[in-house]
Amino acid sequence: MAEQPSNAGPAHTRLWVALFTAAALACAGLWAWAAHALWHSTVPAGLKLPYVDPRSFFSAHFLARSASYERFLDIDAVLREVVLIVVLALYARRGHRLMRESAAGPIGTGMLLGMLGFAVLWLAELPFGLAGVWWERRHGVSHQGYVAAVIEGFVGLGGRFLFVSFALLLAMGLARMIGRLWWVAAAPLFTGLALLSTFLSIYLIPNTRTLRDPATAADVRRLARAEGIPGTRAEVQDVHRYTTAPNAESVGFGPTRRLILWDTLLDGRFSRREIAVVSAHELGHLAHHHPLRRVGWLALFLIPATALIALLTRGRGGLARPEAVPVALFVFVVLQLLTLPLWNIVSRHDEAEADWSALKATHDPAGAQALFRHLATTSLADPNPDGWAYVIYADHPTIVQRLAMVEAWQTRRAR
Amino acid sequence: MSEHPIRLVLEDDLERARFTVLLRWLLAIPHYLWLIVWSVAVIFAVIASWFATLVRGRTPDALHRFLAAYVKYATQLYGYLYLAANPYPSFDGGDGYPIDLVIAGPAPQSRWKVAFRVILVIPASVFATTLVGLPGWSTSGGTRGKTSSLGFTRLPDLVLLAAVLGWFAVLARGRMPRGLRDLIAYGISYGAQVWGYALLLTDRYPNSDPQAALADIPVRHDPAWLEVDGVLERSRLTVFFRALLAIPHFVWLLLWGILVFLAAIANWFAVLFTGRVPEALGRFLSAYLRYQFHVYGFLYLLANPFPGFVGAAGSYPLEAVLATPGRQRRWTVLLRVVLGFPAMALTSAFGAVLSAAALLGWFASLATGRMPLGLRNAGMLALRYQLQTTAYLMVLYDAYPYSGPALRGEPADEEPPSAQAISAFG
Repeated sequence: MAEQPSNAGPAHTRLWVALFTAAALACAGLWAWAAHALWHSTVPAGLKLPYVDPRSFFSAHFLARSASYERFLDIDAVLREVVLIVVLALYARRGHRLMRESAAGPIGTGMLLGMLGFAVLWLAELPFGLAGVWWERRHGVSHQGYVAAVIEGFVGLGGRFLFVSFALLLAMGLARMIGRLWWVAAAPLFTGLALLSTFLSIYLIPNTRTLRDPATAADVRRLARAEGIPGTRAEVQDVHRYTTAPNAESVGFGPTRRLILWDTLLDGRFSRREIAVVSAHELGHLAHHHPLRRVGWLALFLIPATALIALLTRGRGGLARPEAVPVALFVFVVLQLLTLPLWNIVSRHDEAEADWSALKATHDPAGAQALFRHLATTSLADPNPDGWAYVIYADHPTIVQRLAMVEAWQTRRAR
Repeated sequence: MSEHPIRLVLEDDLERARFTVLLRWLLAIPHYLWLIVWSVAVIFAVIASWFATLVRGRTPDALHRFLAAYVKYATQLYGYLYLAANPYPSFDGGDGYPIDLVIAGPAPQSRWKVAFRVILVIPASVFATTLVGLPGWSTSGGTRGKTSSLGFTRLPDLVLLAAVLGWFAVLARGRMPRGLRDLIAYGISYGAQVWGYALLLTDRYPNSDPQAALADIPVRHDPAWLEVDGVLERSRLTVFFRALLAIPHFVWLLLWGILVFLAAIANWFAVLFTGRVPEALGRFLSAYLRYQFHVYGFLYLLANPFPGFVGAAGSYPLEAVLATPGRQRRWTVLLRVVLGFPAMALTSAFGAVLSAAALLGWFASLATGRMPLGLRNAGMLALRYQLQTTAYLMVLYDAYPYSGPALRGEPADEEPPSAQAISAFG
């Protein structure tokens, strides 16, 4: 009997394509749903920010000076990133030659190449970093010495070496164990580590001490209750040796949740009302679980990023091989740079929610306005930066936007 | 390369008179006074010599003889004080003392090197400070360091510590342990070359290689030894970031070290009861030692490539060669920590030598892409002593660490414990 031509092969392939497409669509849907859930904010959806003229809050001299100050730093940063990409591209192309400097196995050699990649980056960035220090010193924003800046950067490089070694140990280990699909396991693994790091971050911040000032401590207790997170502890970080810029941050979650106030905020330049607004803002981050949400966004970034790294390193035999590490480093850093505007959108979104939360907790729009003006003048922050700089570098709303939000809150309250 | 113009000659039989050793630092009081007087004259002589050499390109004969005699005398006096020789030295730095110098006659010198001699001598002085100290220099300062009015006697670094250990050994046995004597001789030899360079006796830079300091290097059959290949080329990029690149290794050393600490305690009990190292524990501890010294070799620039993380034998250019552990005397096992104190103290002083060699080697490697052989070998001596001390404290072997420059012979795996090895203080 003559054999019938079989249609099983193409049908089988079509089935797989359909299944793959369905799975990809499901994953994309899941990704979009998660992004939508993370995007949720307590800032009223239809809130329109009124126009605020910066000249009504700041002198013409300050506006000109701050614009000049930030423009230099922005251009310095852009140039640094251009150089960084060029250097990394060269390293991706030629870095594998440094394998001859290793007597370690594939993973150890991969670690060496990863660390040397960061070392080359540090060397390339150094002139731009020193230019930034010079500019900040010139404007009185920082009094850090050049040698101290270099040494601090060099020592900090050790932390980056440790990070990249650990990351490569995991990624290359997975690539050697499970092959091309290593990224499927790596993304959740790195997310888990980021979660752990967020949980433990309070223990990783140097030079912290308990907040002792009774008035500020009482305000923090009151505001924490108002934000719905009573019992949140506040600590002070000593940074005055390096900078005069004021700042605060919120870290951790659950039992490690902390409000950190820089000692430059408590040196007498800021009023009690202004410090209360800062505290409420940071407590707002904690109340709305922003540290955890940042981990969520990281997970959404890592899934496509690791997949892309896995794809683009195939030409060098995949991440199981050390010669692929320079390429992986290039892809990772370029992805970070390309997605920086997106990260900034997310960050500004969270900051706006924290501002809104602070206004609700303090009921002190005058204090908030005074704070934002004061922050701008002490940090020499341009209240209304250039559009391109805002898109690429602004991870907070501009001072003008923050002042506008205060006005919007007052308008709503008056209704 | 030709011989260094300032060479140490050692004709010492290690025998010491206990009574003079007991009082040695007091017996030398007349020499201290004489050294001070001579040193004042040397200050004027070297200034005159500097001008003359700068103009003529060669040190005048009379000045060269005067300064050479001074360096010879100081060397003999140090040899006496540090127990590297037995007889009371003469006051004129004449020939024939058991530890002496041969100093070549005046030779043409580069005027540039003469003009900047004060600056050029700084790296050698830094290294000499870790070995023997130099007038006006102190690595330890404060309570440990002592400086005379001219700053000539002084610093309790490696050589002084070796002399103190030797003092006890001589009082007990009437003999100076060869390892300590050779170590002291190496330090004195290097110090003499630094002084000769500073006083314009030669423009040849001091040679820090311990193998080159002594004419007669013993062949040792120690169970723990450190070997390195002859490659001196270094990658400038990895040299510049060397300490940071070793960070992942430090983390791994720390984690592995926790298990090793527990294993070493278990090993101590096992050897105490059975007289032998259990095979599995021996392998585990040996692998850690190999790994540890791969990392140290990388960190201190004694080898170039980035090491692996498992301490595999033969995987790295710098190798801790470890013999199969043999039988050990139980009383030495019982008292191992106490017996190890002198070696631990010496290891600590060797640490300063190792760090200085690495620091100077770091600059040299960045400038030339090569690690200087002398610094590499000085680092190897320090690291070998550290290896032997660690192996001794881990109760892998009961051979006491040997502190002097030595060549390697094949170890005898099942060698019975020797009284010499146990009591020599190496």
